[in-house]
Amino acid sequence: MDDLREPCRILLVDDDQAITGHLTPFLERAGFAVTVAGDGETALRRAEETRPDLIVLDVLMPRLDGREALRRLRRSGDWTPVILLTQVGAPAERALALDEGADDYLNKPFEPSELLARIRAVLRRSRAGAPSLAGARRLSCGPLALDRQSRRVTLDGREVALTAKAVAVLEYLMLHPDEVLSRERLLDAVWGWDYPAATRAVDSRIAELRRLLDDDAEAPQFIETLVGQGYRFVGRVRAEA
Amino acid sequence: MRRFILPLLPLAAGLACAGALQAGLWADPIVHARADVGTLLALVGLLASLLWAAGEGLWALAGRREREALARAQEAQAEAHRRFLRRLDHELKNPLTAIRAGLANVPAAAGDPVLTSVRGQVDRLARLTADLRKLAELEVQPLEEEKVDLAELLAELADVAADRPDSAARTLRISLPQAPWPLPHVVGDRDLLFLALHNLLDNALKYSRPGDTVEIRAFEDGATVAVEVADTGPGIADEDLAHLGEELYRGRAPSGIDGSGLGLALVRAIVGRHRGSVTIRSRLGRGTAVTLRLPVAR
Repeated sequence: MDDLREPCRILLVDDDQAITGHLTPFLERAGFAVTVAGDGETALRRAEETRPDLIVLDVLMPRLDGREALRRLRRSGDWTPVILLTQVGAPAERALALDEGADDYLNKPFEPSELLARIRAVLRRSRAGAPSLAGARRLSCGPLALDRQSRRVTLDGREVALTAKAVAVLEYLMLHPDEVLSRERLLDAVWGWDYPAATRAVDSRIAELRRLLDDDAEAPQFIETLVGQGYRFVGRVRAEA
Repeated sequence: MRRFILPLLPLAAGLACAGALQAGLWADPIVHARADVGTLLALVGLLASLLWAAGEGLWALAGRREREALARAQEAQAEAHRRFLRRLDHELKNPLTAIRAGLANVPAAAGDPVLTSVRGQVDRLARLTADLRKLAELEVQPLEEEKVDLAELLAELADVAADRPDSAARTLRISLPQAPWPLPHVVGDRDLLFLALHNLLDNALKYSRPGDTVEIRAFEDGATVAVEVADTGPGIADEDLAHLGEELYRGRAPSGIDGSGLGLALVRAIVGRHRGSVTIRSRLGRGTAVTLRLPVAR
């Protein structure tokens, strides 16, 4: 973020003042200009007035909840990057969050440093002029295509028989191209829980994906392993309506 | 089936007697009387049959109503419980998020012991809320249904355990059947079953002492596969045994052992979703064995 001439503007939306009160100085110290809103309606108004570079949006709020606010924002054609703070952690809820056009989502109670990492990753992507993948119905990369609605994956037009978990892992990887994703983060995002020994569950789904997508771990076309760090989707991902 | 045949017995008896009369098996000289008595017997039989059937029907209906009411009450109670868990989780999450954000603003030298301790406690609460959420979700989330090779899963579990520092001082044994055939597969969510068994092994390693033995074994009896995690640890007192698996219940014997008190509740919830059962045998001072039974995949 050092190369930026003026600070990135973040709209922080949460009805809990203890949270916004502590997060604001934290984000300001990290070099951001922060505006706060306490409910969905105010958030939409502020978004229009201040044109932020990114919105951090809580889900459960009075008046207009985060989910509905996001829907309205997207319907009006506003594709400002949004990080959704999910409250109810059900996996279905998470899938929905992606479906409604959030660029990323984070479970409460998160570490502020994790929020910072997500904000930077999302901003990096949008600054590079990459089209937002959040609202895409289909994600593709060369011969690989993932239909997010029907949960079907094809390779060279042929359907690949993947388990539901493997599809979810692939979707999350493709939505975060070029980002190093730790096993813990994949667990949190796709499985909804995390415990020390569970990281193997991630490895076995990655192995399934590589086997069925015919991806060589040594010279990957899609998924790269970063020893001691996690996985990264290396292909160029395109969004299709 | 029996319910439908039994009420027909009086009718059959009536008809049989009437038939016998008509056939002249009884040496009654008056033919008309024989016919009348025969018809009467058949009618009485019919009436008795109808009454019996009606009684059976009413009885079954009452029983079903009662069972349905009970099931509804249980479901309502389960739903209220899930709601409570979700609310508790929700009410804990926001203050925890605020505390973490607040801690991130505290200017302190790295490694400040007070700050490190407070962070550790916040992490502990965060784990508790994560477990509460998991527990509430478990009862409703759709299960991945695939064939799971428990033998392979248990071997992986033993691998994970061998990597733990506390397993070095304990003897860890795993025994799986090979004859007359290897362990059959079960149908279920592999990751959840792994979590359940991991929790059991984690308990066995946590609560046992250096020098103790921990065994993982599995066997089948045709309809079910049983997986047992046993240890020669301190055992559990009878009065604690009755409460084990209740949410947040922690026995008095172990002290200073990290845990949320939800581990076994999670195991029960996972095994319940797989139509299985959990049983615990324990003797104070001798050790504990927890057995999971899961239906064999057809």
